[in-house]
Amino acid sequence: MSRLDTVRKWARRHPRWTVALAAGVAALLTLWALTRPGMPLGPIDLTWHRMQVNRDFYVGIDPSYPPFAEWTPDAIVGIEPDIARKLGERMGVETSILIMGYDGLYDALYTGEVDLILAGLRADPLYAEWVHYSPPYFDAGQVLVSRADAPVGEMAALDGKRLAVEIASAGDQAAQRWQRRLDTLHVERYLLPEDALVAVERGEVDAALVDAITAREYLRTHSGLVRAAEMTAPDEYVIAMRRANYRLIEAVEASLADMQADGTLDAIIEQWLGPEPSTQGERNASS
Amino acid sequence: MKAHDPAGDSAAPESGDHARLRAMPLTDRSTLRRLASRYLPRLARLGVLALALISFAPAPPRVVLGPPQTVETHHPEICVHTRLTDEVEEWKIQRTLALVREMGAPTIVEYFPWPYVDRGEGRYDWTHSDRIIRHAENQGLRVIARLGLVPAWARPPAEERVTSLTYLTEDYFDEFAAFVGAFVERYRGRVEDVIIWNEPNLSLEWGGRAPDPDAYAELLRQSYAAAHAANPDVRVLGGALAPTLETSGSAMSDLAFLERLYELGAAEWFDALAVHTYGFTAPADDPPDPGVVNFRRVELIREIMVRHGDADTPIVITESGWSDDPRWTNSVRPGQRIAYTLDAFEQVAAWPWAEAVCIWNFRIPVDQANRRDAYFALVSSDFTRKPVYEAVQAYARGWDSPYLP
Repeated sequence: MSRLDTVRKWARRHPRWTVALAAGVAALLTLWALTRPGMPLGPIDLTWHRMQVNRDFYVGIDPSYPPFAEWTPDAIVGIEPDIARKLGERMGVETSILIMGYDGLYDALYTGEVDLILAGLRADPLYAEWVHYSPPYFDAGQVLVSRADAPVGEMAALDGKRLAVEIASAGDQAAQRWQRRLDTLHVERYLLPEDALVAVERGEVDAALVDAITAREYLRTHSGLVRAAEMTAPDEYVIAMRRANYRLIEAVEASLADMQADGTLDAIIEQWLGPEPSTQGERNASS
Repeated sequence: MKAHDPAGDSAAPESGDHARLRAMPLTDRSTLRRLASRYLPRLARLGVLALALISFAPAPPRVVLGPPQTVETHHPEICVHTRLTDEVEEWKIQRTLALVREMGAPTIVEYFPWPYVDRGEGRYDWTHSDRIIRHAENQGLRVIARLGLVPAWARPPAEERVTSLTYLTEDYFDEFAAFVGAFVERYRGRVEDVIIWNEPNLSLEWGGRAPDPDAYAELLRQSYAAAHAANPDVRVLGGALAPTLETSGSAMSDLAFLERLYELGAAEWFDALAVHTYGFTAPADDPPDPGVVNFRRVELIREIMVRHGDADTPIVITESGWSDDPRWTNSVRPGQRIAYTLDAFEQVAAWPWAEAVCIWNFRIPVDQANRRDAYFALVSSDFTRKPVYEAVQAYARGWDSPYLP
């Protein structure tokens, strides 16, 4: 006799108990559904409630990382303060930027001193229990750069070729992993990422794997080079919010998505880092 | 006088539960027996179940000392500043020190704060210190002990004045010296170098009061006497001054502070000078200049010592290093960090008056707790060895490494 038959038999023999159990389960499920965030009996997002009443919005920023955030005599400026102000604008609240040291950011978020942190953070599993991270607003990862007349779009295409990296960087460590995957990959190490890019220009290597910010700045003035469309080793900057603030999370993520879709985010980043250099695919399409 | 005995039966001195049980009516006693026979087997089964569940709980990692190790290195001047005082788990202490040995550093500087061991009235609990020293010895490492901080009872009460753990007034210098003596006595023959206090030219290290070389000289004098009374062979390291150009209520130039110490005759109260020297964005060979904070600032310290006739006293660089934090304007790229660090070892090896250079820091217990220190570390909190660790290891042990310039 199968286990299911046993259950059926028990249910036929104890109809009242069966009905009572079913009712109990249904009640528990209903209670669970009604107490979910956003439901009538669910928790209240007090931060969002306060923002709606006071029309205020507090953002924690560490202004030690220009051009992402910098404290000038006049104001807090940079990519992150601009993103914070735009988010506030789109949510219909007035943004106040609170500056603090990097090590105090999570404490300020935990204690409610700020509503979110915008400070070049990477998602950290240590805080996952109470922190929600947004989708990335910038990727500072390692990207392949090659000559426009001999483009290299991905690491797999470098088998038997020469790659330049900045010594001991994340690109160097990624290259070492790829050395184990490819038959032959010759890695040349340079002290600075700019030196690696010069080596590409001179034809001493086939490509360089450098951080996206250095690549962006260098390629602006060196049109003979192109960058790959995809990051080889991503390093994504995200916004941190308290997990309990589900309405704020929804609003911030919706605003961020809108800013990405309508080009506002790119415009902010371009204002501070210069225009994004065209990728190999874009070059091909335009030619 | 005999106590009144209402039952008139004081011949058998029975008392407590047994007497009460005997006094119970027979019906109650049989009820108890019935209850016991009914519930005791159930209780026994529950006990067995609890024991079974406990046995499923993961056991704490068992830490045993392996056979004694020795450090293999071509560069005995390499040293690291560990941070094991705040490390709770013993296996992490052991793992950290094993990695230090494997890297080829024969010496560590470790912090032993007074309030961490103090139990008041001259009593100390050395459990954690013993653990660190035991594991360091097992790995074949020499320990330079940095002593500092102040227990609550030696500071003013909070309602009178809010202070920090570095607030020490002259009234309690003798108590600190007593702790120094007790530490030296306990680890006699095992720890032969002690640093007295940390960066006394910073207000931060004096509980917010202005830096005072005269007070530090007095602290050094009392500590020196207590240390040598406990062990005549111990070496007292003075100074450990922070490299700074600032001259204000919050900091005093390390050069000016040291000059004043010599004027006060403090040379008599240290056997070696501990020096902190950081490169910040400059390479290790950047020339010394009183108006610049760089690695070779230690040469200016040395000049002061020579000028005061103290050329025979050695220097131990107990803090140094470069950070590769991308968010800090005083940091360098990872490759520069490696090149400058290895150059610093070369320079120290060439200076007959300098014994070692201790890299700040080897590893901190939680990287997320202090970003600045995390980017100075050679190993991350989860024991991932950074490229700079591998480069120093290859340099120390004569190995090939992709990170060697």
